[in-house]
Amino acid sequence: MQNLSVISINIWDVLISLCNLMLLTWVVKKFLFKRVQKVIADRRAAIDADYAQAKEAREQAEEDRLNYAAAMAAVKQTSDQIIAEASRTAEHRGNEIVAEARDKANDIRRQAEADALLERKKAEDDMRREIADVSAQLTGKLLEREINEEDHRALIDSFLQEIDS
Amino acid sequence: MSEIKTPDVKSRRFRMTDYALIAMMILPFVVCILLKVLFTPAHEGVHIAGALIYLEIPAPVQPLIISESQVNSWGVIISILGLCLYLTHGLTAKAVCKRQLAAEWIVEKCQKLVDENMGDYFSTWAAFVAAILGLSALSSLSCLVGLFAPTGDVNVTAGWAILVFVLIMHYKFRGGFWNYFSGLFKPIPFFAPINLIGEFSTPVSMAFRHYGNVLSGAVVSSLMAAALGGLSRTLLGWLPGILGDIPFLRIGIPAVLSIYFDVFSGCMQAFIFAMLTMMNVAGAVPWEEWNARKEKKRLRRSAAAG
Repeated sequence: MQNLSVISINIWDVLISLCNLMLLTWVVKKFLFKRVQKVIADRRAAIDADYAQAKEAREQAEEDRLNYAAAMAAVKQTSDQIIAEASRTAEHRGNEIVAEARDKANDIRRQAEADALLERKKAEDDMRREIADVSAQLTGKLLEREINEEDHRALIDSFLQEIDS
Repeated sequence: MSEIKTPDVKSRRFRMTDYALIAMMILPFVVCILLKVLFTPAHEGVHIAGALIYLEIPAPVQPLIISESQVNSWGVIISILGLCLYLTHGLTAKAVCKRQLAAEWIVEKCQKLVDENMGDYFSTWAAFVAAILGLSALSSLSCLVGLFAPTGDVNVTAGWAILVFVLIMHYKFRGGFWNYFSGLFKPIPFFAPINLIGEFSTPVSMAFRHYGNVLSGAVVSSLMAAALGGLSRTLLGWLPGILGDIPFLRIGIPAVLSIYFDVFSGCMQAFIFAMLTMMNVAGAVPWEEWNARKEKKRLRRSAAAG
């Protein structure tokens, strides 16, 4: 086999090596660059999607938080209202009960006073009747016998004793 | 969440494919070495020659020669194809395999290099530049396994340089043929021949720079090896028996030279070739004239339409 001389131009060789470079360019482009660039693009898309998703989730959470806060405020307002209403009702009811009780007590007292008055009157009547009875008896006794000083005194004492007894 | 498919890295099928791809990277070089060993004629002393001729096919103008440099180039191409397939095997957005980092690193570095040196308009040229870098560097480095470096053949680098020249011309004509043609006569018509030579000197200088550097490295290396062999025979020839025939001085010392001439220079020339390609192609576009031409065309079209 022969060697080429150190410097010799062969147009076919030149052409072949030109085609070789073009072929390798195609190879490198198709099998390395396109694939790697596709993967990098895929990864970027995935990352972008993740970021978008995270942003969406954050916004959703913020919205939820605001909604919740609003709902809580509404609930608090309602509960305050209910409590105020209840306390107002309770106060009203209490006042009613107190007034009713006071009325009842007044009635009872009035009744008692009336009863007492009646009782006193009855007692007075009784006493008066008693006195009348006693004076009648006394008169009877006076009429029965002569009365001296001593008798008189004893009479009075006995009368008083009678009253006391 | 978009579902990202992850390949089963541990599966038998995946690993078998991996081994096949690794073999695809290595085997071309083995085949090239075998071919070289089979075809190399026995020779004595210092032997400096071009690529081996494997096949000669009659063709018009010149015979079509399938030489060692072509075969080695194809080996390099197949090997790079294997590398690309290996690096992108099991590629996912989630980066399961470590090799994906290497693949992304290569792509991003090349992309950045091209974007910085050529501008955004040429960003799709990253693959071309990566191909030049890979082909040139691996071709130069293939001499480390004893092959003839394809870049040491002027035909190979000339082919690349002509492709680059075609690209440069393609972009220079963006401003219109007349714009380019009149540019040759500037600043004064007297400069026309010099300008014309200047146009053609770009590919010639690119081709010869690369070829010359690699070949000179190979020449210096083989001269050095021969010289050290001779020196070893002179100094240590008195050793008895077979020991005297072993060129001890050739052990180790040429390797140091090889690091410079083959590894450093090979990578350097690949980078220089790629840089010159980027600079020349990106600098070839006459932006102002091109934009003016586009504007004129647009106006004409709208006038025809309206």
